[in-house]
Amino acid sequence: MKYYYLAICVCILGFIYPDKGMTAPPVNQCLNCHLENGFKEAVLFKKDIHYQVGLTCAGCHGGNPNTDDMDKAMSKSAGFIGKPKGDVITKICSSCHSSPEFMKKYDSKLPTNQASLLKTSVHGRLSISGKEKLVQCSTCHNAHGIVPPSDLNSPVNPRNVINTCGSCHSNANFMKVYKPSIPIDQVEKYRTSIHGILHAKGDLKVAVCFSCHGSHGILSPSDVRSMVYKTNLPSTCAHCHSNSSYMKNYKIPTDQFKNYSMSVHGNALLVKHDLSAPACNDCHGNHGATPPGVESISQVCGTCHALNAELFSTSPHKKAFDSLNYPECETCHSNHLIITATDKLIGVDNKAVCSRCHSQTNNPKGYIAAKTMKMLIDSLENYEKNDNKLINEAEQKGMEVGDAKYKLRDVQQSRLEARTAVHAFNLKKFEVVVNKGLAVASDIHSEAMNAINDYFFRRYGLGIATLIITILAISLYRFIRRIERKNKNNV
Amino acid sequence: MKIKWKNIYEWFDSRVQLDDLVHFMGKKYVPIHRHSVWYYFGGVSLFLFIIQVVTGILLLLYYKGGEGLAFESIHFIMSKVAFGWLIRSIHSWTANLFILAAMIHMFSVFFEKSYRKPREITWLTGMLMFFLAMAFGFSGYLLPWNELAFFATKVGTDIVGVLPVIGKPMMLLLRGGEGVTGATLSRFFGFHIAVFPGIFTLLLGIHLILVQRQGMSEPLDVENNSVKEIKTMPFFPNFILRDLLLWLIVLNIIAILAVFFPWELGKKADAFASAPAGIKPEWYFLFMFQTLKFVPSKIFHIDGEVLGIMLFGMAGITWLLVPFWDRKSKLGEKSRLINIIGLFVIIYIIIFTIIGWIT
Repeated sequence: MKYYYLAICVCILGFIYPDKGMTAPPVNQCLNCHLENGFKEAVLFKKDIHYQVGLTCAGCHGGNPNTDDMDKAMSKSAGFIGKPKGDVITKICSSCHSSPEFMKKYDSKLPTNQASLLKTSVHGRLSISGKEKLVQCSTCHNAHGIVPPSDLNSPVNPRNVINTCGSCHSNANFMKVYKPSIPIDQVEKYRTSIHGILHAKGDLKVAVCFSCHGSHGILSPSDVRSMVYKTNLPSTCAHCHSNSSYMKNYKIPTDQFKNYSMSVHGNALLVKHDLSAPACNDCHGNHGATPPGVESISQVCGTCHALNAELFSTSPHKKAFDSLNYPECETCHSNHLIITATDKLIGVDNKAVCSRCHSQTNNPKGYIAAKTMKMLIDSLENYEKNDNKLINEAEQKGMEVGDAKYKLRDVQQSRLEARTAVHAFNLKKFEVVVNKGLAVASDIHSEAMNAINDYFFRRYGLGIATLIITILAISLYRFIRRIERKNKNNV
Repeated sequence: MKIKWKNIYEWFDSRVQLDDLVHFMGKKYVPIHRHSVWYYFGGVSLFLFIIQVVTGILLLLYYKGGEGLAFESIHFIMSKVAFGWLIRSIHSWTANLFILAAMIHMFSVFFEKSYRKPREITWLTGMLMFFLAMAFGFSGYLLPWNELAFFATKVGTDIVGVLPVIGKPMMLLLRGGEGVTGATLSRFFGFHIAVFPGIFTLLLGIHLILVQRQGMSEPLDVENNSVKEIKTMPFFPNFILRDLLLWLIVLNIIAILAVFFPWELGKKADAFASAPAGIKPEWYFLFMFQTLKFVPSKIFHIDGEVLGIMLFGMAGITWLLVPFWDRKSKLGEKSRLINIIGLFVIIYIIIFTIIGWIT
């Protein structure tokens, strides 16, 4: 009797708390037959995550998995569609993966917007056939044997994703059909990058394709929403490089983004949205990202600052910096925290960078050159300020000084050229540039002064003319009066 | 010294009979009355015209007509040519003072009814010269090819274009095409320095000959007053010397204006730029411009702008033909209607010019 009550209780509890393990596995007669016949897809499907959670072949192919009668199992009336092709693949996948309710049944933490992201991504465009989208889910995730991305066997696992993306992107014949201008050496370059070198050593924390480009919603780099659009790129890099705990094992600083944001480049790109300003990839490369070597910094900076780099390469500093292992441009200008270069950088006072190496005692030649350069460039600046003041004064007096004002640009240009000429670290060459500006400044000074003097000349001239006219008028008036008096007397 | 002058005089007299002219001028008398002051404005207008001719010729030595040269040449005149700034400023200021003096002269003649018989032709030539003076102003305004001039010409010629039937052909004739371009500048330059001066000189000659032949008109009340004998002064040298005195004063005023308020050049015209805000024509067109702005877009199914222009045209013709419809003055009677019309026109011009200026 006791056992009888116990059995009833177990049955009730079993009914109230049904265990997953207790439910009968779904019948998958398709798999049984296909395995028996040695189909590769069936073998792969046994390892597939979908098989693991209890889904059958019919989930994607339709049909009746409960019968071993081939005609019934693969009849159209049972919804059999055969091998899905083209956009049907993505449609089938998204019928479950885009449904939060369905995915919830499997305690899935996966997002459910993959299909919509894919649709609006660069991969969502039509293929050359014009009948289907360029990329389907199976293109990257495979069809049978799908495993979670965290699984090392997944084609989208960090270990494999480089080759997965490269299977199309490194294929010249394939890529030229869609975008002939796009390079196909991304994988090759990646292998030479720090990221690629570490990746090859088995470090899966390093950046791979999707770290920078995203996964389902990949956009063209020229799209402002893209993670690698110029203004978004520093934040994308900073996602890892500013994360001190993530970067802990790499023993590199994590303040690059902070410094870059405060730099002249960061200000131009992130604040002024000047797309000509460099982002991380302009100096480090993108797929082949690597820190520039000490001796190649001037070449890297020189891609934009061409004249400065050329002058530096022929200057005495090039040899000296290389022998002392000083990182060329970086030595004076810093790297990520490059501030706006002003004339204060030159000279021998505390704020000047020259004084870091050149002092009156240990390197008097360089010290004198730096001091003279500073004096010359300061003179040019003072002349420019003074000329500007005189031109304003002349303009306020209503004088025409358009030419002088225009020439003022030449002085400004000379100042800019002088700042560039500094990089030759050659006093004579520097003097030539500054003297050209000083000569123009002197011309402007004369023209502005002439205009101001002319202003007073006009007034003095008017005063004299008025005096003469007044004397003439009075004389004439007296003459008229005399004539009229004479006429009166005659009458 | 006196003998030397006498010799020179005799040399000319023996060839061109100067004595006859001196005799004629010596016999000519100018009436003296309370309105005599208005006689001087004719002389002032003449003096200002002479200044215009002289400064215009001087400017012509450096001015280059053409879309790509006009602005630059004026800039060159103002900044590089010795006293170029003075010549250009005097030319610009005198242009405006000339129209002002001519306007005062016209209204004084109108109120004195000096247009009455036998001076109808003198009035007609004077009025035509006044219209030409405005045309001089309009055409000369474009010559520096600056922003204001460009858009003012565009607006001005657009107004001409709205006239029915003749509007469009006239606009094309003035512009030398659909838009205001270098072709317009060339035409305006031609009008300004050749066509208008030629016609003006002819009209001025007739006008001056008639004034000399007919003498100065006397106001009706002076003419009708047979009790008092009319005081006169000799035209030569008394009146001429008084004219000369006034001309000296006017010259000094122009010099002061040119030095203290030099005429600006502004920005070079750019056909692709948007019109500057609050663009206005020269002051003497402002009352008409402002009126057209007030006129509703449609009046009895007629385009308001067209109606406004036609009304101004009719008013101008009526004003021009006043010697022929003012019967009372012709008969030597006082005409209150003419005075009322004249006052209305002056008040209208002043009020609408002020409104146009401040808005």
